Amino acid sequence: MRRRLASFFLALALAIIWQSPARSNTVTLDDSGTQALEPGVSLRWKTATPTRSGDGNLLVGTTTIRVRINVMPWLKRSGRIYLALPAQPPGPISASWITQGRLLPGQIQSGSRVLVYAGPISTPFIEDTLRFEFTVSAALITRACPVSFHFELDET
Amino acid sequence: MQARPPSPAASVSALPPPAHRRLRRALSLLSALLAAATADRAVAFTATLDPAAPLTVYLQVGVGSFTNDYIYGGQPQNNTTINTVSVSVASSVLGNGTAQSMTTNSTAAQSYWDGYTFCSVPGQLYIGGFYRTTGAATAAAQVTATVPAALTDATGDSLPFSKIHWTSSGNGDSGAEPFPAGTFVNGGVQTVGSMASNTWNESCWTFTYLNNSVPPAGTFTGVVLYTLSAP
Repeated sequence: MRRRLASFFLALALAIIWQSPARSNTVTLDDSGTQALEPGVSLRWKTATPTRSGDGNLLVGTTTIRVRINVMPWLKRSGRIYLALPAQPPGPISASWITQGRLLPGQIQSGSRVLVYAGPISTPFIEDTLRFEFTVSAALITRACPVSFHFELDET
Repeated sequence: MQARPPSPAASVSALPPPAHRRLRRALSLLSALLAAATADRAVAFTATLDPAAPLTVYLQVGVGSFTNDYIYGGQPQNNTTINTVSVSVASSVLGNGTAQSMTTNSTAAQSYWDGYTFCSVPGQLYIGGFYRTTGAATAAAQVTATVPAALTDATGDSLPFSKIHWTSSGNGDSGAEPFPAGTFVNGGVQTVGSMASNTWNESCWTFTYLNNSVPPAGTFTGVVLYTLSAP
């Protein structure tokens, strides 16, 4: 009896120790099925005229993107999916988006990520249409500039 | 003895039969392969930000047009009005060297930035504007005046444009004016101000006729064209 109890508590301790490193495995998801509905993001001035001080000269542009994320490997499991906008040229960029309901709307600064889905994964693909608005300082951009983002999943 | 923890033997007996274990192992392997394949195909989506036509210029000399004050979302409009600045000199003081204040028919007293009464009409002529462009370091835009050689009357008499001078200020303003004081040249193009990029610039000009000569009697007129040139 004493030996069984000792084995149980040893197993419990190992289980507790074992769980911690398995918590945060982040996987970049396959979004190769994602398509932009417009060829580019045409930037315009956020406000028609500048300020007296010259501050706040922002350019904004909108685009619609049909997102299709392959989550087949996590089918019938639960997951937390994030939209990640890495820090990249031309510098700080912010983006906000609205969705049609499958993913969460939100906003993001470059160099961070934002939760767009949490829950059971019941279909091989998660699809939604997102309307993005990108904002960037006019001081940073003088010519067309590619901006990349991706979706990633935290495995639990 | 009450509830007991499961013994190792009990745990072993709960495992699936060997066939199930093999199936589960195969499924795990398939899942891992799928995940690996997915990771290989993972691509970042790229959107191209294109500052298509962000260069914007606005110059207002005299009256202008905005849909509303800027701070309330107003946007600049075209206005083709040509305003005048004039003075009638009484014969009793003609040519005595006492400068004569000129007045304008412009009604532009308020700044379209916030509606503030920046100029005092009819004694002052509003001049303001901006230019917007992208990039960190940008040269200033220049405002020039294209001035005829002289003002003329109906009989061909002339009066040098250099007889007209202006000072620059603005209600509640301090510091250097973007459109400083000056005197017209007698024919040619002269710079009358500059604008740093992405800033709102405005001044109020008060014109005077120097009145230090005696021209023939008549009505002398001339048109000055103001131009904003952005780099």
